[in-house]
Amino acid sequence: MKRNYDIDVLIEKFKKKDKIALARLITLVENNPETTTNIFNNFDSSENDSYIIGITGSPGVGKSTLVNALSKILLENGKSIGIISVDPTSPFTGGAFLGDRVRMTDISLHSNIFIRSLASRGYKGGISRAVFDITLLYEAFGMDLIIIETVGVGQSEFDIYNLAYTTVVIMVPGYGDSIQIQKAGIIEVGDIYVVNKKDLGGEDIVVQMEMMLDDATVQSGWRAPVVMTNSITGEGVDTLIEKIMDHKEHLELSELLKEKKKHRFAYKIEELLSSKIGKVLESLISEDDLNKISNSVLQGKKFKIYDMVHDLFSNVKFEMKKSD
Amino acid sequence: MVVSRGLRDAGMEVIFGGFQNVEQIVESAISEDVDVIGLSMHSGAHLVYTERVINLLKEKGVKDHFLILVGGVIPVMDFPTLKKMGVANVYGPGTVVADVVNFIVENTKK
Repeated sequence: MKRNYDIDVLIEKFKKKDKIALARLITLVENNPETTTNIFNNFDSSENDSYIIGITGSPGVGKSTLVNALSKILLENGKSIGIISVDPTSPFTGGAFLGDRVRMTDISLHSNIFIRSLASRGYKGGISRAVFDITLLYEAFGMDLIIIETVGVGQSEFDIYNLAYTTVVIMVPGYGDSIQIQKAGIIEVGDIYVVNKKDLGGEDIVVQMEMMLDDATVQSGWRAPVVMTNSITGEGVDTLIEKIMDHKEHLELSELLKEKKKHRFAYKIEELLSSKIGKVLESLISEDDLNKISNSVLQGKKFKIYDMVHDLFSNVKFEMKKSD
Repeated sequence: MVVSRGLRDAGMEVIFGGFQNVEQIVESAISEDVDVIGLSMHSGAHLVYTERVINLLKEKGVKDHFLILVGGVIPVMDFPTLKKMGVANVYGPGTVVADVVNFIVENTKK
């Protein structure tokens, strides 16, 4: 029953494009992150840069079906695609129901495609910690395109738009009025907007979106288009692909693609730093220290809270300003 | 579906496949690198289907890497045949989800 997770063996097979090896390496970076640096040490230079597309939107708008429809055409054009589908982990049970694959049966057997479902595992913003690592694995594997599908888009710094070069936001008819759209923050995040399930209508959303996008300041020179699709029949999907390619070209010509690539790594570096700093803190400050402060707060010292926390660092050798 | 939800409520990550053919089931199991493959069948074709899945897993050299469970409308007299094929456990109608959860937890301990 024992599967082989020996990294050296897996790397050898991975380099020969063995999908079983890819699957197992993904499991390792997800479940045993202490092995990640070991694994990555086998790829010292990447001859391949994949283009990363993010597909996001509320549950039920048709993301997976759209990914399926998009992929069908891209595969016909000879592209290899690595898909990552993220679904939320239940905060109560820790379990997850990963049902995106179900919509991708058309494409799942194609040799140029690889699909992996992930649970968010408590990570905020819709993706999961391992998604970044998996994009690197997909790149090393030689995938032309990476499509990351996730629920939700908002203003969390962990959102998909930090990783993806082109972010596509999907909506459906009946979504709500323009104030809701503004509130959700999505007008700032998408490079392309899609109104799916066009068989149900949606022209009114398109009109509102177009007005809001006209108003929005466009510093990058890219005015996000709004595309109507029916992901089941495939209507509009060709146009969507065209717009994605247009955006890609825009990024390349304006040198913004380099910025996006830097950003993909910059946000991860920040995240890793936070984690490191967290560890430093843990070694400097004990549970007891924190409990003392919590108890003091309840005993009439609540206005001293800034001073109490600042004093924790009085023995620490570096300068920490009160405003830090 | 009921079993899927029960497994999720027990803290497991469940890849829901829906209606898949033999090749798609094996492909999903491999690319998702799952611990357990659960086949749910109500069509009466469980012997044929299970055999095909297991044969394809053997062909790919991965049959022994998965805990294989079969459930649904399965007559008790077919249980031994399925087990001989390599199915770890069979669950007929009236199965309690907790039993499935316990079996999985017991048999996937590392």
